[in-house]
Amino acid sequence: MSVQQTTLGQVRTRQAGMTFLSRISTEAVLMLGAIIMVMPFLWMLSTAFKTPAEILSWPPRLIPGSPTLDNFATVFTTAPFDRWLLNSLILATTSTVAILLTSAIAGYVLAKFDFPGRYALFMIILATAIVPFEVYMLPLYLSARRLGLINTLPGIIAPFLIMSFGIFFIRQNVIASIPDDLIEAGRIDGASELWIFGRVIMPLLTGPLSALGIFAFMQAWNQFVWPSLITNSKNLYTAEVGLALFQTGFTVNFGAVSAGSVVSVAPILIVFFLLRKQIIEGVALSGLKG
Amino acid sequence: MRKLMLMATLMSLFFTALAQDVEVTVWSGYPELEPFYLHVAEDYMKEHPNVKITVLTQPLRDYEVKITAALPADAAADILEISSSFAGRLVQGELFQPQPQEIADFVNSDAYNNFFSNAASYNGTVYGIPLFRGQGALFYNTEMFKAAGLSGPPTTMDEYVDYANKLTQRDADGNPIVSGWSLRLGGGGSGIAEKFWAIMHQFGGSIVTQTADGGWVNGYNNEAGQKALQLYVNLVNKDKVVTPELKGDAEGFELGTTAMFIRESWVIGDIASKAPDLPYATALLPRGTIALPVNLYVTRDKPEAFDFAQYAVKPEYQVWLLENVGWLPNRQDVSYESALEKIPQLDGFLNVPESQVLFTVPPIGPIDEIQTRLAERLVAAFTNASLVDNPEGIAKVLSDAAKETDDILKREGLLGTP
Amino acid sequence: MQKTSLKLTPLNRRRWLFAYLALTPVLAIYIFIRIIPIIQTFRISFYKWDLISKRKPFLGFANYIGLLQDRAFLISLTNTTIIAFGILFFSVPISLLIAVLLSKPRKLSPLYETMYFLPVVTSMVPATLAWKWILDAQYGPLNQFIGYFGFSPQPWLVNPKLAVFSVILLSSWKIIGYNMIIFLVGIRNIPSMYYEAAEIDGASILQQFWNITLPLLKPILLFVSVITVISSYNVYTQVYVLASDAQGSPGYVVRVLVYDMIENGFRYFRMGYASAEAVYLLIIVLILTMIQFTFLRNRS
Repeated sequence: MSVQQTTLGQVRTRQAGMTFLSRISTEAVLMLGAIIMVMPFLWMLSTAFKTPAEILSWPPRLIPGSPTLDNFATVFTTAPFDRWLLNSLILATTSTVAILLTSAIAGYVLAKFDFPGRYALFMIILATAIVPFEVYMLPLYLSARRLGLINTLPGIIAPFLIMSFGIFFIRQNVIASIPDDLIEAGRIDGASELWIFGRVIMPLLTGPLSALGIFAFMQAWNQFVWPSLITNSKNLYTAEVGLALFQTGFTVNFGAVSAGSVVSVAPILIVFFLLRKQIIEGVALSGLKG
Repeated sequence: MRKLMLMATLMSLFFTALAQDVEVTVWSGYPELEPFYLHVAEDYMKEHPNVKITVLTQPLRDYEVKITAALPADAAADILEISSSFAGRLVQGELFQPQPQEIADFVNSDAYNNFFSNAASYNGTVYGIPLFRGQGALFYNTEMFKAAGLSGPPTTMDEYVDYANKLTQRDADGNPIVSGWSLRLGGGGSGIAEKFWAIMHQFGGSIVTQTADGGWVNGYNNEAGQKALQLYVNLVNKDKVVTPELKGDAEGFELGTTAMFIRESWVIGDIASKAPDLPYATALLPRGTIALPVNLYVTRDKPEAFDFAQYAVKPEYQVWLLENVGWLPNRQDVSYESALEKIPQLDGFLNVPESQVLFTVPPIGPIDEIQTRLAERLVAAFTNASLVDNPEGIAKVLSDAAKETDDILKREGLLGTP
Repeated sequence: MQKTSLKLTPLNRRRWLFAYLALTPVLAIYIFIRIIPIIQTFRISFYKWDLISKRKPFLGFANYIGLLQDRAFLISLTNTTIIAFGILFFSVPISLLIAVLLSKPRKLSPLYETMYFLPVVTSMVPATLAWKWILDAQYGPLNQFIGYFGFSPQPWLVNPKLAVFSVILLSSWKIIGYNMIIFLVGIRNIPSMYYEAAEIDGASILQQFWNITLPLLKPILLFVSVITVISSYNVYTQVYVLASDAQGSPGYVVRVLVYDMIENGFRYFRMGYASAEAVYLLIIVLILTMIQFTFLRNRS
C-alpha cells in the first residue's frame, strides 16, 4: 500500500446521516481523550512550579497557589542538565546522520544493483532486523569493553549507527519510486556511480529520508538501557539516564523531579511544536512501510 | 651556572607538569555520601595540589551492576566503596590490589575491631580499608509515642506488636492514615529480605547460616522464620497496622505517616536535611541488629589511590561522616563524643552493649541472589490474607523458599551439611 | 530491478565495484554491532559464563533447562507477556476508535492529532515520572479522582498486580498516538466509493465500520498489533523508573524479562544464563513475526 499520495490534511466528505447530536458527542469523546492524553504533562508542569508544602497538600490542585521557581533552581544547581541534554543531542544527531547515510546508500545499492552476494546480504539484514536490541545487548557490552569504548561518547553512539529497518525502508522507496531509466540516463551521460547516487538519487529521496530521520532521532533520544550500562561518569549521562538517576535522589522532593522532567523534555517538545505536521506525517510514512 | 639554574627551573616545571596529571577517581553506591567524599577530597587536594580527585555516586543497585560490568574491563574507578558482602566475589576474582604493608598493619591495628579488619581481608591479606557500617536500630516518633501514652521504646517483640497497634491512627473507615510500625512490604529486591532478616534475628533466625563443614544452608525454615513471617502477616492483614499504600520507611517517617520503623543510621542524616524539626529518638532492638561493613578497595596499583583511601579514614573525617551524613564510622580509636552531644539520636547506634548479638550478610557469591529470590516470595506472602492464623501455610511458604535458597547454594558448590 | 547478468563484464565490474565499496562500511558496522554480538549471545548461552572468573565451563542446554524451572524467570515471562498483551488490548481499540472518529473532516483535527501524538514524542523517563506522581498512592491525583466515585485509594505502584496494570496504562498512553496515526493513514486510503455505495444502501455508520473499514484495515491492524506486542516485550525503562524507591535503590515490583536478564548477567554474575534468557526472548519475537508474515501471505 502506498501512502505518499495521501496526506493527513486530506479528508473525505461523508457526513450524510450524521446527526447534530452524534457530531457533538464525537467531539466530546475526542476532546475528553485528548485532555487525558495531555493531563500528565499539565500535572508535571504544575508540580514543577509548586512549593513542597503545596505538593503534599490534599486534595491536589492543578493550578499552583503560589508559583515558585525554586525547583528549577534546585535542578540547575544540583545536576548538569545542560551537559546531559547536549550529550543526548550529540547521540541523536550522530545516530540520525549515520543512519540516513548508511540507509540511503545500502538501500539504493540493494534495490538497483545486481551483484554476487546481494541476496545473502539482504537476508542478513532481514534476519538481524527482527532481533531486539536487548537480546544482544550483553555481548555488545563485552565487545565495547574489548574495544575500550566503555564510558566514552563513541561507545554510547556505536550501536545506533545503522538501522535495519531504515535500509529496508529506503530500498522499498527506491524500488517503488525511482525508475531504472533515470539511472541509465545518467550512466549514458558518462556520470560516475557516486555522482548518480549523490546528485540524482539522493534528491529524490528527501521525503522518505526526512521521515526516517525523524524516526531515527526519536529512537536515539529515547535510548535508556544502553547509555545507562555503558556510562560511568556523570558528564557522559544522556538526558534520559541523568534524569532517571537524578530522580532517585529527590523522592520526597517531587517538585525538583518534575522540574527536571520539564527541563529534559522541553527541547523535544519545542521541536515537536515547530515541526508538528512534518513529524506526524513522517511517522505515518515510515510506520506504514515497516 | 645560569644555564644550570635555567635547566633546573625547566626541569622542575617539567616535573610539576607531569605530576599534575594524577587523577584519582572514587565511586560510591550511596548518593548521600557524595558531600563526604567531596569534603575529604577538597582537603586532600589542598595538601596534594598535583592530585585531582573525582567522585561519582549512584544508587546502590545500579552501582553494583556497574561495578560487575566495569571492574573486569578495567573501566572502574581507582577507589571503590563496597560492602564486604558484595566484595567477597570480586576479591576472589583478584580484581582488587592488596593494600600495602603499611596500610595492612594499620587495618590490623587497634584502630579497628577484629570484626571489621576481618571483613576487609581475604585469606589473611588485607584488601579493603574499613570506612563505615550499616547498622540498624529502631527509629520512633516521640510525639506520637506520647500521644499514645507510651513512655519509652518497646523492648520485646510482643511489645513491638502491641505498640504498633496502639500507635496506628485511622480514618473514619478504619483505614490507617499513620502506620504504627512501618514494615518494608515492597520495593527494592534484596532489601526486603534484609529487613525481614533483622526482625527474624530477634527470634534467633537467619537467612543463611554456616555449617560445621564450612558450607552454608538456609537458616529460616524453622520456628524463628515462622514467627517473623507470622508477625508480618498479622500486622498487615489482621491488625492493619501497615498497608502498602501508606508511605513508609524513612520517607513516611519524615512525612509523619509512620510512628516507628527499623533502619540504618543514615536516616539521621536524611531527617536532618529533609525534616529537621521531627521529634524522634532511636533505640536498640531486643536481641541485636545488622552490622554490614563497607570498605574502600583500590583497583589499580596507584600510590595516590592508596594514599587517598587511607586519608579518608582519618579521625576527623570519621567524625565528619557521622555528624554530617549519619553512617557509622568503623574506627574505634576515635572519640565520637562531640557528635553524640550534637545528635543525641546516635545513642541507639554508638552505645551497643556487649549483650547485643550482631549479624552480618556473609560475603558469599550468591547471597544477593538468595535474598532477592526470597524477597519475591515474601512480598507475595506479606499481603496474603489467607496466611492469617494459618501456620501450615506460613510453614509452606518458608519451606518452598528454603528449598530455592539451598538449590542456589548447591549450584554454586556452597551447600553445607547441617 | 535491473536485469543484468551476473557475468563479469567490464560494465558489471564497474558497478559491482561501486556496490561493494558502498556496502563495505555498512557491512563492517553491521558485523561489529549486530552480527558478532548476536552470534555471541547464542555461544555464551551454552556456557557458565561469568564476567569475573576465568573458568567458563561448557554446559550444553543446562541454562535453557534451568530457566524453565526458574521461578523468577517464569514470573518475568508472565509479567512481560501480560504487559505486552495488555498494552495491545488497551491501545489498539482505543487508537482505532480515535482514528475512525478523526477520519472525518473536523475543524479541530490538527489540535487533536497534536494532543494525541504528544506522548509519542516525549521520551520515556520524563513521561514515566509524570505518571509516577499521578499514581502516587498518597498524594497523587488519580486516587483523588477515583475517590469522587467512591473508590478507596489504591497502592498503584506497590501492589504487584496494580503495578503491572500501571505499567500497561502508562505504556498504552504513550503508544496510542503512534498507532492512531497509522490507522488514520490506513482509513484515509480506503477509496471513498465504498462508503458512498454503502450509504446508498442505507448502511449505518456502525455497519460501515464493521463491513468496510475493519476488513480493509485488517493488514494494518495486524501490523500495528504485532509491532505493539513486539516492542512491548522489551519493556524496561518504565518499570525501572516507576519502581525506584525512597532510598534511591530501584526496587522492582514488576519483574520483567529485560530486568531479569540484566540482574542475572551483572548482579548474579551469570552471563551465560542471561544470554539463554535473551535467546528465549528472541524466540518469542520470531514467533510473533512469523504469525504476521503468515497472515499477510494468506491475504495476498
